[in-house]
Amino acid sequence: MGVGGVATAPGASDLEPASRIIEEMSPVTSGDIIPFLQRLQDAYGYLPRDVVLAACERTGLPASRVFGVATFYAQFYLEPRGRHLVCCCRGTACHVRGGRKILDAVERTLGIRDGETTKDMLFSLETVACLGACAFSPVMVLDNTYYGKITPHRAELLLKKIMKEES
Amino acid sequence: MERLASVGDFRQWQKTLKAGLDPNRKLVTVCADTGCALFGALGVKEAFEKAIAQQGAQDRVSVKATGCHGFCEKGPVVVIQPEKIFYPSVQVEDVPEIVQKTVLGGQTIDRLLYVDPASGSRIALNHEVPFYAKQQRLLFRLNGLIDRTSIEDYVAHDGYAAAVKALSEMKSEAVIDEVQKAGLRGRGGAGFPTGVKWGLARKSPGDQKYIICNADEGDPGAFMDRSLLEGTPHAVLEGMLIGAYAIGATKGIIYVRAEYPMAVKNVTAALAQARRVGLFGENILGTGIAFDVEIRQGAGAFVCGEESALIASLEGERGMPRPRPPFPVEKGYRGRPTCINNVETFANVPLIVLRGKDWYRGFGTEASPGTKIFALAGRVNNTGLVEVPMGTTLRQIIFDIGGGIPKNRRFKAAQLGGPSGGCLPAQYLDLPIDYDSVKQAGAIMGSGGLIVMDENTCMVNIARFFLEFTQSESCGKCVPCRVGTRHMLDILVRICSGQGRMEDLDELERLALHIKEASLCGLGQTAPNPVLTTLRYFRHEYEEHILRKHCRASVCEDLVAAPCAHACPAQVNVPQYVGLIAEGHLDAAVDVIRRRNPFVSVCGRVCDHPCELRCRRADVDQPLAIRALKRYAVDHAAGLSSTLGAPATGDAEVAVVGAGPSGLSCAYFLALMGRPSVVLEKQPVPGGMLALGIPEYRLPKPALQQDIDFILRHGVELRTSTPIENVEDLFGQGFRAVYLASGAQKGRALGIEGEQLNGVVDSLEFLRARGLGQKPTCGKHVVVIGGGNAAVDAARSAVRLHAEKVLILYRRTREEMPAYEEEIEEALHEGIELHELVAPKRILGKSGRVTGIEMIRMRLGDADSSGRRRPVPIEGSELVVPCDTVLPAIGQVASVEPGGRLELSSWKTIACDPVTLETSREGVFSGGDVINGGGTVIEAIADGQRAAVAIDRYLGGPGALPPDVSVSMYRATDEELEQAPPRLAEPLLPVAERLDNFREVISGISRQGACAEAGRCLRCDLEKLRS
Repeated sequence: MGVGGVATAPGASDLEPASRIIEEMSPVTSGDIIPFLQRLQDAYGYLPRDVVLAACERTGLPASRVFGVATFYAQFYLEPRGRHLVCCCRGTACHVRGGRKILDAVERTLGIRDGETTKDMLFSLETVACLGACAFSPVMVLDNTYYGKITPHRAELLLKKIMKEES
Repeated sequence: MERLASVGDFRQWQKTLKAGLDPNRKLVTVCADTGCALFGALGVKEAFEKAIAQQGAQDRVSVKATGCHGFCEKGPVVVIQPEKIFYPSVQVEDVPEIVQKTVLGGQTIDRLLYVDPASGSRIALNHEVPFYAKQQRLLFRLNGLIDRTSIEDYVAHDGYAAAVKALSEMKSEAVIDEVQKAGLRGRGGAGFPTGVKWGLARKSPGDQKYIICNADEGDPGAFMDRSLLEGTPHAVLEGMLIGAYAIGATKGIIYVRAEYPMAVKNVTAALAQARRVGLFGENILGTGIAFDVEIRQGAGAFVCGEESALIASLEGERGMPRPRPPFPVEKGYRGRPTCINNVETFANVPLIVLRGKDWYRGFGTEASPGTKIFALAGRVNNTGLVEVPMGTTLRQIIFDIGGGIPKNRRFKAAQLGGPSGGCLPAQYLDLPIDYDSVKQAGAIMGSGGLIVMDENTCMVNIARFFLEFTQSESCGKCVPCRVGTRHMLDILVRICSGQGRMEDLDELERLALHIKEASLCGLGQTAPNPVLTTLRYFRHEYEEHILRKHCRASVCEDLVAAPCAHACPAQVNVPQYVGLIAEGHLDAAVDVIRRRNPFVSVCGRVCDHPCELRCRRADVDQPLAIRALKRYAVDHAAGLSSTLGAPATGDAEVAVVGAGPSGLSCAYFLALMGRPSVVLEKQPVPGGMLALGIPEYRLPKPALQQDIDFILRHGVELRTSTPIENVEDLFGQGFRAVYLASGAQKGRALGIEGEQLNGVVDSLEFLRARGLGQKPTCGKHVVVIGGGNAAVDAARSAVRLHAEKVLILYRRTREEMPAYEEEIEEALHEGIELHELVAPKRILGKSGRVTGIEMIRMRLGDADSSGRRRPVPIEGSELVVPCDTVLPAIGQVASVEPGGRLELSSWKTIACDPVTLETSREGVFSGGDVINGGGTVIEAIADGQRAAVAIDRYLGGPGALPPDVSVSMYRATDEELEQAPPRLAEPLLPVAERLDNFREVISGISRQGACAEAGRCLRCDLEKLRS
């Protein structure tokens, strides 16, 4: 999924990585918007608004068009992400094997809902409609590591372990 | 790897590589697909390399990380070639032993082999494992065999031979013709003939054409394409190359969803290799043909699996579909002719071109040739990827290959086609699956996701689940989809939270049809399908949610506090009493039960415990032994109160006909509401089936009497030996309301010759005679006909009445017998023979007495509309079983008034309102066996309870049951719950001590056992409080 970079404060972004990407992909045409945004997000961990605006000015792409695309696709985030990314699968196979309970346990442990980030910027929680690991449902991904046949209790333990290590 | 300049070069290279393949060479294949990687497959592969090197055998033995072998449930999977020895769930610690004993020593290691759950035997060979035995792995053949990062390995196994044949020996039109005649249909879901699509693309005028591989695989539950791309990426590339040549495209795109990082990585690497070798790029192998592929990633939008939205996404736009015509084959990507095919479709192409259309048509059905890969997931034992010929039945896939449903639960439905598809219930288990047959049943084949659902799945919840998905993925462009699906979802949410109305069902159907007709793209056009199929096949579940706020699978959170309590027809607060038992407060536990069910002693012995079937602990290990706990509490409580509330006094306004569990429960609850009643019983003793049906070895008389006495102490007048001929008379006697619970006392007649002979006794009559203390007719050779509890009760009673030989004859198999599994098990232990698949033809006699019974053998045919397989007689297979007693037990007949005026249902039971239980005659309510034709004890008790509420209201009262209590908050700690002992079994009387008496067979559990068992409870009812 390509996310999990370092969170930065909005409004004061370093434009150097974006410039490099623009150079490498030049000319960035409208057909390249999605790969372009994917590379920007890989570099910044999310899509800082000021970076996107600056990139639009450099490339000549209309900001309305680019933000239209960024807000349409689930993969793009316009807010900084937490240091650790928790992803619960809400696909059919996971649902039928109790996926909802995993999400409940994670939401309860972290104190945030799907799509939110904890105040201390430690965790971001998202759900995906299917991770394609259906034989191992229910599935949870924590920092790009897949956990199959997970139980609510184990999910809680994994998260609490990180919370302890980070404090 | 050098660039190949000509077809000849390629063929030479392929020849060399093939020659280098040694069929006898030792090869360890380790599945390294994303799935097996979850369980440490990469570590296992490294362990193999290390162990082999340590033995100095690295020149003789190869180790390959391959793609998916399919049996994902048993990952990490290792297969040792050339012997094809299969090792499931391999751990790093096992590797050195495997290397030494199997790889180098040629012997299998028993403890590591696959154990077939059905037979219990260990199976060593890959193709003999039941999961694989019925599959036809054409597309997946190489997935478990080749190194997915090596183009040489692919080429050595005939890779790219088809493409080279097409490019050098066939005209484009000939390629299209071959694919068309082979009958390949799009595997993405719609099944459009691929050859036709290619033909249209070829004919479209244009200087630049595109061929796109749709690897967006957005259907939740589908992962075939991921595994194909990860394991055999070259097959997909080769298919694209052939397709490009066929339609005249020089550029291709693979659109992979971003959530598949390994697939992206592997196909990118494969493409790079293919380019380096000269199979992609300019002037391929000197043929002058140019074709190259770009890999693009999706960005997380299900709708981009739809072809026009996919194109929009490639063009850097929001993934919104476009109106068609023009279709992509005319005007697609960048306005050019574009042909979009699915990953699996492309993987089929090289096989067709290399082996020919006739070979291909040898698999599958006439209208849908070839194979299909299904992603088998959900509530099934063997999850994974299954490749079968089209025309394979659901039963074969789910049961033969899939190993059936875990924990022996009952199959409910199979979801095909993801959010665009439908749920197929049990009646379609024998449907041969192909594009057309599935469509007729109301679903679509879809991309291959096959989710299995069992009795613990709520179909209304599933419809809502899918609609939530399509609603959130709707791109928003067209009103029917954007607004329509939202509206449907709102209705479903209301139904799931107990606020639905019957009109909602018609509204859902009306909306569904409009959305299907008017939506711009396939997402909207198919979004209503899950709702439509669940309404078609599971309408009763919707109605239960609406009318009775009941979710029979105990899933819908707003309706269900604890699944066990919700599953109990009488709504007994199970977690409360279990918690109280764990704390040692037995009196309080019994008090909790008695607030909803007065028959504690009875149910603790004979209830069929629907609560245990829904117990969530079962997902951890085994369900709680709730019935055993209930019995323990009532058997050992020291200070039970004699009544629950003050006895009702005054004149009885309500007459209850029948002193069985239903009637007595009704009287009890009416008394608790302050209404005395009179219970009129035809027999000389109260209890109904509890006294005169269920034998004493299951339910001793004192235990039954304890509960009846408890009820009668509440101001309930009992009049035995008082038959009621006419319900109307009761109103004449001054009663204002009547509860009719006369049961279903008569057995259904066999309807065959010889039924009137001496020695043929209806099972219910037989059991009743015993219950009344009479000596029932019972010879030495007894044949019982039937498969329900009455049959088993009669058989086990006959054993105790000194019959020498007792047989149960049933026309279906043991799995289909309605009798409780525990009862059947004990019957067999007691020496009773069970003969399956036989049906009676006629009873033979001499001098008016039974001498034998002629039977005919049956076989199980296809499933009927109820989902059960229809037994079909086998011509000429008659056999005679000698006997002197025949006890038919094939069903009960509701004891309705002959010539009575109450309206009857089509099954000749009393018809009544599903909520109030009122009959067609005002003031007359009914419940128990007389309305359901023979149900369980707890259902009868629950009817009595509900009728009491309805009667109280009818007479002007509030209809208030005793208030619920929340006293116990006891829940073991998480650690204690994880380390809890296994489920407790109740001790049984040894068989030798049972056979000439009617002593109770099951004895209760100990105090220690009860505490431990109760401590296993997860207290699902407290979950909401914890968050």
